[in-house]
Amino acid sequence: MSTLRECIAIAHRELSLGWGAGGGALLSASFFAGAVMVAPFALGPAPDTLGKIGPGYLWLALSLATLVSLERLFQSDLEDGTLDQLVLSPLPLELVALSKTLGQWIATALPLLGISPIAALMVRVAPEHIAALCLQLTLGSLALFLIGAIGAALGASVRRGGLLVALLALPLYAPTVIFGAGAASLLANGGAIFSQPFLFLCALVLGALALAPFATAAALRLHVD
Amino acid sequence: MATLIAQAVTLQRGHRVLLQGFDLRLEAGEGLCLRGENGSGKTTLLRALAGLHQPKAGSVVVNDIPQDAFMEVSFLGHQDPLKANQSLREQLQFWAVVSGKKAPQFDDILAKVGLTRQSTLQGGVLSAGQRRRASLARLLLEERSIWLLDEPAAPLDSEGRALLGTILDQHRRQGGIFVAAVHDELPGLPTRTIWLDKP
Repeated sequence: MSTLRECIAIAHRELSLGWGAGGGALLSASFFAGAVMVAPFALGPAPDTLGKIGPGYLWLALSLATLVSLERLFQSDLEDGTLDQLVLSPLPLELVALSKTLGQWIATALPLLGISPIAALMVRVAPEHIAALCLQLTLGSLALFLIGAIGAALGASVRRGGLLVALLALPLYAPTVIFGAGAASLLANGGAIFSQPFLFLCALVLGALALAPFATAAALRLHVD
Repeated sequence: MATLIAQAVTLQRGHRVLLQGFDLRLEAGEGLCLRGENGSGKTTLLRALAGLHQPKAGSVVVNDIPQDAFMEVSFLGHQDPLKANQSLREQLQFWAVVSGKKAPQFDDILAKVGLTRQSTLQGGVLSAGQRRRASLARLLLEERSIWLLDEPAAPLDSEGRALLGTILDQHRRQGGIFVAAVHDELPGLPTRTIWLDKP
């Protein structure tokens, strides 16, 4: 019970820091909105073209938008000594990493997913598929954050390490984006929400929940020593 | 009974050996000041005692338990872990929860370190000395038996240094142990001092 209380405290703090002044949680949502806004200009406004490419493009925008907020996930804690204190806390570092990532996910993904129905409309996704698509994006964003946290932990000691975090995280994003975009494409073409790619996406989320915190914690320990 | 034992500890940074075969035994109620030039290994030794740095050889045992199995130490490093956009009270509450304390006496602790009036201020507006006092408040609320402090007096004024001496002495009298890396003697503290030579 005490462990849960500590995890909630860490996630809550991440949420409040993310939404506080200079927290940057809204930056991801702004990036996502901006990337989707330019889609009709880049791809052409023809409904057929956008309707085909749009769902996949949303996944591309989502994966890049998550990177915007991941850079600082552990960097500020490393710089101000918070990470040392978290390592010395009774809570296992794996749970610290998981709690921080979930807190950052809630802080960043909520506004991002809040605007995703409008974004879906902009790329000509049929209105009846938007709710299901948002559910897929929500699940997929969780996997992206958990996997991206590994890159964020590895690059935490590098000043302006955003590019490094992107280089580390983007290859790891590939399976999530492949299955997410596949599920979204099937959905947009009239398929069921619980398609095979979507089930693979769910498995990826579960796998990331189980394994990513261990990899993230191992990466963080490299910086503490 | 608090004990802190280092046995044949060898510390290395890169290829540079900082300490070799270092032994230390501290019992409840003891304090130790580490002194030495910059680069002599004071910080690395403190981090090794805290379990934040893995010694090349040897072991550190805290309260008769191998240190990597259980942490009973509070560590005060060069930085004070305060976030700029949260109030001091909020941040202390966070550290209380994370260190498993259910009902810490925030008001008493804040009064003890002289930060009662600053409790609602955000971390970003506190001075370096006030931030260090906030870190002392964190040590007090964590209630751990062993304190490891890296240049704790550096940002403090004379009043703050006296306060630090009082707090450390009280901790020692209550059966705690402290090890502090310092450049100048802490006033009024009956402690052992170890000089570390530059390798």
